[in-house]
Amino acid sequence: MCDFFSCPVRNPEGQLKLYSKGADTIIFDLLDQSNEELMYTTSEHLNEFAGEGLRTLALAYKDLDEDMFDEWMKKLLFASTSLNNREESLGALYEEIEEGLMLLGATAIEDKLQEGVPETISCLTLANIKIWVLTGDKLETAMNIGYSCNMLRDDMNEVFIISGHTLLEVQRELKNAKERIMGPSRDRFSSGQDVGKTDMYASDSVFEETIIAEYALIINGHSLAHALEADLEQILLDVACLCKTVICCRVTPLQKAQVVELVKRHKRAVTLAIGDGANDVSMIKTAHIGVGISGQEGMQAVLASDYSFAQFRYLQRLLLVHGRWSYHRMCNFLCYFFYKNFAFTLVHFWYGFLCGFSAQTVYDQWFITLFNIVYTSLPVLAMGLFDQDVNEQYSLRYPNLYRPGQLNLLFNKRKFFTCTLQGVCTSFVLFFIPYGAFLSAVRDDGSHITDHQSFAVTIATSLVIVVSVQIGLDTNYWTAVNHFFVWGSLAVYFAILFAMNSDGIFRIFPSQFPFVGTARNTLNQKSVWLVILLTTVVCTMPVVAMRFLKTDLHPTQTDKVRLLQQATRRQGPQEQNLRRVRRTSSRRSAYAFAHQQGYGELITSGKNMKVHTSSTSAFPGNSLGRTHSSSSWIESMLKKRGDSNSAVEAEETTDSGITDQTRVDVLSEHSLETLYTN
Amino acid sequence: MSKPLKKISLTKLLHQNKNKWSFIKLRQFYQSLEKILKETCSYAELCTNNGHWLDYTGTEMNSSCFSCSSVKPDCVCELTFSFSQLFEGPVFFYYGLSNYYQNYRQYGVSKDANQLSGDTTYFLSPQDTCSPYQYDSSGKPIVPCGSIANSKFNDTFKLYLMVNGVKTLVPFDGKGIAWWTDYNVKYRNPATVNGSLAKAFDGTVKPPNWPKPAYELDPSDAANNGFVNQDFLVWMRRAALPNFRKLYGRITGGDYSQGLPAGNYTLQINYNYPVVNFKGTKKVIFSNVSWMGGKNEFLGLAYLVIGCLCVVMAIVMLIVYAKYKFSDDDDMQ
Repeated sequence: MCDFFSCPVRNPEGQLKLYSKGADTIIFDLLDQSNEELMYTTSEHLNEFAGEGLRTLALAYKDLDEDMFDEWMKKLLFASTSLNNREESLGALYEEIEEGLMLLGATAIEDKLQEGVPETISCLTLANIKIWVLTGDKLETAMNIGYSCNMLRDDMNEVFIISGHTLLEVQRELKNAKERIMGPSRDRFSSGQDVGKTDMYASDSVFEETIIAEYALIINGHSLAHALEADLEQILLDVACLCKTVICCRVTPLQKAQVVELVKRHKRAVTLAIGDGANDVSMIKTAHIGVGISGQEGMQAVLASDYSFAQFRYLQRLLLVHGRWSYHRMCNFLCYFFYKNFAFTLVHFWYGFLCGFSAQTVYDQWFITLFNIVYTSLPVLAMGLFDQDVNEQYSLRYPNLYRPGQLNLLFNKRKFFTCTLQGVCTSFVLFFIPYGAFLSAVRDDGSHITDHQSFAVTIATSLVIVVSVQIGLDTNYWTAVNHFFVWGSLAVYFAILFAMNSDGIFRIFPSQFPFVGTARNTLNQKSVWLVILLTTVVCTMPVVAMRFLKTDLHPTQTDKVRLLQQATRRQGPQEQNLRRVRRTSSRRSAYAFAHQQGYGELITSGKNMKVHTSSTSAFPGNSLGRTHSSSSWIESMLKKRGDSNSAVEAEETTDSGITDQTRVDVLSEHSLETLYTN
Repeated sequence: MSKPLKKISLTKLLHQNKNKWSFIKLRQFYQSLEKILKETCSYAELCTNNGHWLDYTGTEMNSSCFSCSSVKPDCVCELTFSFSQLFEGPVFFYYGLSNYYQNYRQYGVSKDANQLSGDTTYFLSPQDTCSPYQYDSSGKPIVPCGSIANSKFNDTFKLYLMVNGVKTLVPFDGKGIAWWTDYNVKYRNPATVNGSLAKAFDGTVKPPNWPKPAYELDPSDAANNGFVNQDFLVWMRRAALPNFRKLYGRITGGDYSQGLPAGNYTLQINYNYPVVNFKGTKKVIFSNVSWMGGKNEFLGLAYLVIGCLCVVMAIVMLIVYAKYKFSDDDDMQ
């Protein structure tokens, strides 16, 4: 039986011991008083490690008494099978046994960042994707990660750190941060506005500064627990969205999910969560898109995710290449489908005026059945699978091509209306040009051509050719499959047409194939082919002209990149400067994104809300005098015997990295006495 | 060969060009197009009636067929017209109906394809869609059943040319006016019983509006009798639009192989088919055809208009491309 922290084991000598591991803050709370000096030394070391960006753990043990342990086991069994208050009784039991531990020491692990992470992050930021980091690591570790990934930079205007312990403190800190960003007079800032949307206040210099200035928000887990409550979550979201970078440290898995939920609920944004550990599963499941990184942490994240790959940098390809292509393909596909079906169906609307509104179909029954299944399904499928508006190199090179997807530009109400209108106009042309031609037409041998069946075959053939030409115009990237499907569909149409109008099949099913002989007799007329040609030209020429003019007069970003791509291809493979410039950022150290496990129970049981003590003035020189190359501060905790002290540590780091004074209010026994006696 | 036409200015232009070969071809194409666009409208009465139609519904008082327009059995009326010059052959003679919805859906399904392909098992049990022309009042099955067959056009025409004061009949060739596939594949007569087609129809009755049963449509010619009667086939191929024309006969034989000569003509019509009660009209049309079929103003005009638009569009696109191409090049650098 093991819980997340501790494990009772029996060593080969038969002794019963309890071993625990966990974050230093947690373990130090559970230690026996005799470990005080060791605890202090260890915490110094841990701070050193954290300052170097290593992941730290503290280890402790305890000798267990056999009888006590048996008794405890019985209680545990009872508690774990009880129906009421199971969690509380289990928690209480765990608390009971995990106390008075003896400190063994600390470990520090260097968990290197994967390759390509900073480049990926900067690329995605260029694509207007906000990146928030949710980690279970300590504040220093998280900040170091931030610097090494270029999310936090030295030239950022301000880095806000929210680490209040009570609701009021957190609220004050958040309000303060918001005021600092927006200026003190803008209290009527409405909710949900992003930095980009403050363009409407562009005249105000404060907001212009907001747009250009860069802020970062770092919030601690215990503060986040308060900030996620109903009355504070809006202001948290506002501040977070105003900042370029948000890092949440010491976050529990539940809180990760809650943060994602917050963004989903209040902002019209699509959320993507990427993680690699079991503690990321809830976040991955909550977000719109969940991405799991398969790696050393196991496969739980992978199993819970929508997409999984092995390295973080593949996220760039996933979003900028495949995500973008997918959006483009989907929108084109939808547009074409609506167009095709409107063109096909509305011919009957026009025909209604001329057939006494009797619902006489223009086409052969078999054509109606096979149109959407056989004649026109495969080309659009090929387009939906293979189309690329911009090839992958250029997609990666120009991340701002991602914007149309974010702004919903390729398929919205207007676009839907446009393609529907195109379908209606096509159906109009498809009907009325053959109608006009057939008003007084006869065959070249004088006999009947204006019969219903010839009319049907003419319009059907025109329709299939027009929609095939349209899919040809819509396809940006031709593969062999596209060619095969488009030409093949046309060939299949003619093959099936002649097969169904043949004598043989009529003899077998006379009443099912009344169109016998029609294809032969209609399609051998030159006038019919002239009609088909005219219809095709009238339907497609406006589309061609409009697209041409639009691309030349109002080119979108995508159009420009495509033009560039075409020009480059024509020039030949001379340009080989596709290698991205490597950012020479000031790397602090290399860290991982993965988080530690096992904070859920701890946080939810409220243990982390116990007050911490700060270092006394007994060792000021060591704590305040220590400076690192980057900003750093001392956070060491000691448990005072029997005193409950409240200490507030509000730390703000400025650009130059000089620490502000650490305000400590310590009421010790002695000072109290001093107060009362004096 | 076609006679030289009125657009001499263009032909002069064509002749002036040195390279005659391609232009001769173009001239032939143009001439045939002209024929399509503009028939030589030189016959007086036909031309005054808005082109080459000759409406004989008889709704106006002064119309020759006015007396026949109120339904009377076996009414005959005559139309007289003249050609001032030879109407080039082969001449095709059509009857046209207007406001006649052969494309009405219930009308269109009102036939039995199995009966018409000669399957006698369906003679005694016609399809339900044929109703009300499925069984007659005494419960006997109707063959051929359905509204399309029942409403077969039954006006007949005879054309006479006044030659030296004598009326000479201009024969209509009624062979091959229907589609070959209709005649040979789609419609088959039932197998004769004891050498008689009529016996194959035992136990059935003719459609109510027909004067004679199917096996007496053309007793003189077995290849034109029964379901494969050419007029019947032409009628059964239902039209797509409310105003249509159907071929009645060709004028090709003997003296008229070059066409209809100039002169006065009389058209004798057995007016049987009532159209006045649904405000329809009946017409006769004389036409000749070219490689593109009959006269088709719409197609020619549409091609001209769309062609001009395309040229204009091409010029506009060229200007836009030339103008914006160079600025784009600058942008991309």
